[in-house]
Amino acid sequence: MAAESPTSERKGEKRKAEVVVHLRATGDAPILKQAKFKIAGSDKFLKVIEFLRRQLHRDTLFVYVNSAFSPSPDELVIDLYNNFGFDGKLVVNYACSMAWG
Amino acid sequence: MATTELCSEEALRFIWGGAIPLQIHLHESEVTTLPPPPPALILGPRIGYLPLLVPLLKPYFSSTLPPGVDTVWFDYKGLPLKWNIPTGVLFDLLCAEPERPWNLTVHFRGHPGETLIPCESEDNVKWSFINALKEAAYVINGNCKNVMNLSQADQFELWQSLMKGNVEAYQRIASRLKLGPIGEDCTLKTGAGQPRQALGEADTAGSSRVGRIPVRLYVRNIIQDLDDFDEATAVDSWDSISYINRPVEIHKHEGHLLTLRTALKALLPEIFDDETMPDNQIFSKEEGCQVTNPSFEDYETPNSLRNVETEEASIISDSVVLSKKPKVKLIRIQGIELDLSIPFFWVVNNLMNPDYFIHICVFTEASPSQVLVR
Repeated sequence: MAAESPTSERKGEKRKAEVVVHLRATGDAPILKQAKFKIAGSDKFLKVIEFLRRQLHRDTLFVYVNSAFSPSPDELVIDLYNNFGFDGKLVVNYACSMAWG
Repeated sequence: MATTELCSEEALRFIWGGAIPLQIHLHESEVTTLPPPPPALILGPRIGYLPLLVPLLKPYFSSTLPPGVDTVWFDYKGLPLKWNIPTGVLFDLLCAEPERPWNLTVHFRGHPGETLIPCESEDNVKWSFINALKEAAYVINGNCKNVMNLSQADQFELWQSLMKGNVEAYQRIASRLKLGPIGEDCTLKTGAGQPRQALGEADTAGSSRVGRIPVRLYVRNIIQDLDDFDEATAVDSWDSISYINRPVEIHKHEGHLLTLRTALKALLPEIFDDETMPDNQIFSKEEGCQVTNPSFEDYETPNSLRNVETEEASIISDSVVLSKKPKVKLIRIQGIELDLSIPFFWVVNNLMNPDYFIHICVFTEASPSQVLVR
């Protein structure tokens, strides 16, 4: 619920947010050892994409949110979390070939 | 209420017909002939994207290009232009004072990989557009099945309609996506901006239909004490523009009319707060308008951390006198400086882009001491 939101101010937390990103492999993409990690909300989605590229040693990668759409690399992680996150995390799917056109 | 009364056919045609007169220069490092080629004069559709002009530009400049492989990109006053932002939005955002024709530089070589995603083909643009559309659908419906269920043929036709500016073909397909229009008696959902499971609960409770309107905000700070926008310095880095994606949450409320001003206050409480709004010069002419909307006392800033800039700005504004808060200088949607008392439903239904996002350019003005050195 909202009260558990990383950005909640009601709990007196600082105005600093970290978002838990849950990485899920799709298709024949390799599964990462560490599927969940924290990232600053002020980071751009590009940072998630670059992290995946580094981990998987691949330049071409298709990265989606909620098995649905591929956000612009410029979008802030906190915006994506607030708009599309659930259960306290942002689900990011990655695939080596186009999974959802 | 009938759809036709919510959406103006005329507005739609203006949006689709809108174009920026472009004067496109080939970058001097790529000129191999004397005299250098004259600039290309092209109308760039507002709802279009710059790479879609390449099929026109390439033949025009091909005889003078040095040998090599092309990766085309554009800049304005040295700022590489993001090709995934609609051309009209780029113009509204980067030309504080509209410049016509708009002088852009095209490059066929030397793509700045660190600042721009390369655009290798029209397919990249189509991919970006379809995904923006899916993202908007997700904001509106909580899923994007309607877009994903489009057949390849329909998706292709939708894309072609945008490329060719064919509004009828676009509407034929877009109407099947069931993404609008919204009714006029909408008001803000209190506690807007919470993660979407909260919305899910409100939805299943079922009393009033909750809706979310996809909005992309581009907030640009202009240094105070400039007499006119001509002197506004050019944007030298995308880091100086805050790019914020945040929906407006609404619910049906008969007899209430949500204004653009109230919607903006909910979107950007750090800028449009009650202290800075009323005494702002640009709003003074609209004082007759009464906003019949919920107070924002309970409003919880949803996304506290947008980027360093807004956060630092809010820290500063907390600690100094109110008059030092950034002031809203200008709001532009589709090239129009809107009266803020205009009903929000009208803005949504008539001024959205074909990707179903409302792209809003906000110019704020801070005193020089507030401008953050980056």
